[in-house]
Amino acid sequence: MKITTLTGALILAAIGVSGAAKADTFTMWVRSDGSEFMPKLVEAFNAKGGDQAELQIVPVNELVQKYAIAAAGGSAPDALSLDLIYTPAFASSGQLKDITELAKSLPYLDQLSPAHLSVGTFEGKIYGLPFSADASVLLWNKDLYRKAGLDPEKGPTNWAEIREAAAAVGALGDNTYGFYFSGNCGGCNIFTFTPLIWASGGDIFADDGNKATLDTPEMHAAIDLYRGMVKDGVVPPGAQTDTGANFFAAFANGNIGVTPSGSFAIGALNNQYPDLDYGVTLLPGQDGGVSSFAGGDNFVVSEGTDKIDAIKAFLEFAYSVEGQTILSHNGSLPVRADVAEAALAGLDARYLVSAKAMTVGRTPFSIVFNDLINSSNGPWVTMLNRAFFAKDDAEVQQAIDDGQEEMQSIIDAAR
Amino acid sequence: MTNTTEIDPAATPAGKPPPRRRRRRGSGWEGLIYVLPAAALVIVFFMIPLGMTIWMSLHKWPLMGKPRWIGLDNYSRMLGDRDFWGALGFTAQYTLAATVGLLGVALILALMVERPSRGVALYRTAYFLPVVTGFASASLLWAWLSNVDSGLFSPLAQMLGLTAQPVNILATFGPAFWSVTIMVVWKMAGFYMVILMSGLQSIPTDYIEAARIDGAKAHQRFRYITLPLVRRPFALALILCVSGSMLAFDQFYIILSGGPQNRTVTAVYYIFNESFVSFRLGYGSALSVVLLAILMVLSAIQLRLLRDRRES
Repeated sequence: MKITTLTGALILAAIGVSGAAKADTFTMWVRSDGSEFMPKLVEAFNAKGGDQAELQIVPVNELVQKYAIAAAGGSAPDALSLDLIYTPAFASSGQLKDITELAKSLPYLDQLSPAHLSVGTFEGKIYGLPFSADASVLLWNKDLYRKAGLDPEKGPTNWAEIREAAAAVGALGDNTYGFYFSGNCGGCNIFTFTPLIWASGGDIFADDGNKATLDTPEMHAAIDLYRGMVKDGVVPPGAQTDTGANFFAAFANGNIGVTPSGSFAIGALNNQYPDLDYGVTLLPGQDGGVSSFAGGDNFVVSEGTDKIDAIKAFLEFAYSVEGQTILSHNGSLPVRADVAEAALAGLDARYLVSAKAMTVGRTPFSIVFNDLINSSNGPWVTMLNRAFFAKDDAEVQQAIDDGQEEMQSIIDAAR
Repeated sequence: MTNTTEIDPAATPAGKPPPRRRRRRGSGWEGLIYVLPAAALVIVFFMIPLGMTIWMSLHKWPLMGKPRWIGLDNYSRMLGDRDFWGALGFTAQYTLAATVGLLGVALILALMVERPSRGVALYRTAYFLPVVTGFASASLLWAWLSNVDSGLFSPLAQMLGLTAQPVNILATFGPAFWSVTIMVVWKMAGFYMVILMSGLQSIPTDYIEAARIDGAKAHQRFRYITLPLVRRPFALALILCVSGSMLAFDQFYIILSGGPQNRTVTAVYYIFNESFVSFRLGYGSALSVVLLAILMVLSAIQLRLLRDRRES
């Protein structure tokens, strides 16, 4: 009796000691786009006991600044889920830990998203591992389609169909609009507007991002598509000054017929607006064809961290079938190919559309991406805002010319 | 502190200490101790950051990565930076509009609530209340009120029959600019009202009465008695108002994001963009140094213009 108690106490003590020695808590940031899946993933990881992750969600437009300031002040988080386009810039400035060894120790490294890994690799070393994936898609509201007498099961497959559907839904009146886009948001539009150009055969960069190519027939045509819908009055007037705050909310409120969005919206809509009946399709080109922006986050580790074991445990959990399932049920796409099927099992067809979008998706690359595209006063959004709401063709041409000139001068200055 | 000059060791003949020297020195040290906390605050939170800023402005200093010494290159680049001068021009335009609006409204409010009467405390509180809201929260409130789809102004104008269609006031420069300026006047007028009111209250009633007995009309009393005597508090209000407006950022960032078409990017907004969007901290610092110099010159000019003639 006494002996068993003693043994039990010893075992308990041993567990306690080993637990205290092994379990570690690391801090991690994620941009607000990941606010759907990341807390759930962290919660599941922490519930397992052992190592713990402490999550902070940072507004998407402030993540880079906040991180840089925290890093300069020595209070950077141990790890960061970073918009993949920033990985080269972060790695080249010496902020990130070389995690080649960690990556090589993963038996399924060759199954992880190659697009993520290509921007996560800098000078032959791996600094970023694929974490979440997001592809742009086109959403349509099936209820409004029914009311407008359109086939609710058939999304637009070219631009003419987008305009027809938008006009039909817009004609319903009663504060209902046919189409929505965030007209003053650079990040939203690189994600949802450029695929229209790609699917029609155009591009905005050439020569490895060293040349801006804005003045193309495809760009003109795509601008005319948006501008035409603005003129027809099927776009809410607030779109002109929306800096991205309404990017998701406008469609979620249920009075928008068609909107380009991202696969993140599927998880968010299903969780927050379960009553909204909507369809998902690929972003079409002018006369058919499809494209998408393949985006998402790379997982990077701060140079100064000493919590690498805890971070590795978290990554392994995220790459497990359980982790990938949590991801794909909450707005991200799986990033590990060999378990993607298992992770997507049981989900409705809309997820499969966005998984397909990822395979046709492209990622524009530029070392001055923030200056050119994401800045709320940068040449990309300034040009689009002027052109989408231009009064005449001359104003469109002027906007494109100015945008082209400023973009090229920023690219040249950075070289 | 006034005693410190007298205890300069070089000035006191050696060997023949003046009477009460010990006490004077003691009080000098005491004085130093008294001002030490304030001096420490100024040094830590103003002098050192200012020195850092000037130091950084002489470097190519990326947000992440290693800084590199480039001397005065940032300053020479600034001379050809049309966007910065454009932003300064807009800031000047805004400063003019905001200062005239703020001080005008503040003076009217101050005249209204200056003398004690029934309910005056309520009015004073009501006018001052917006001041205690932060600029960010006031801007967010205004951004929502101005939102054409879900706000108040546009539906209200439509309901009253002023406009036939929903009008996005934030989409064109004129209405957007005036909307923000009106917000600032609403938010800040109470603060300047308090400054001007204290000035008005310090004018002895005898002066006004004497003028009245001499037959001066109300507008004459205002022009020849009140206005000259509120000169000092007015100068204070003017300097605070001009330097505050020259540093405007939050309202244009939150409500307009510098739009429409980057036409409401203020000088500080431009510095923010250079520093934290384009990650050029060195250049941002150089711009900050120049803006500080401009503000100092402006304040000096105002002080000179509003100096009491008797002093000079």
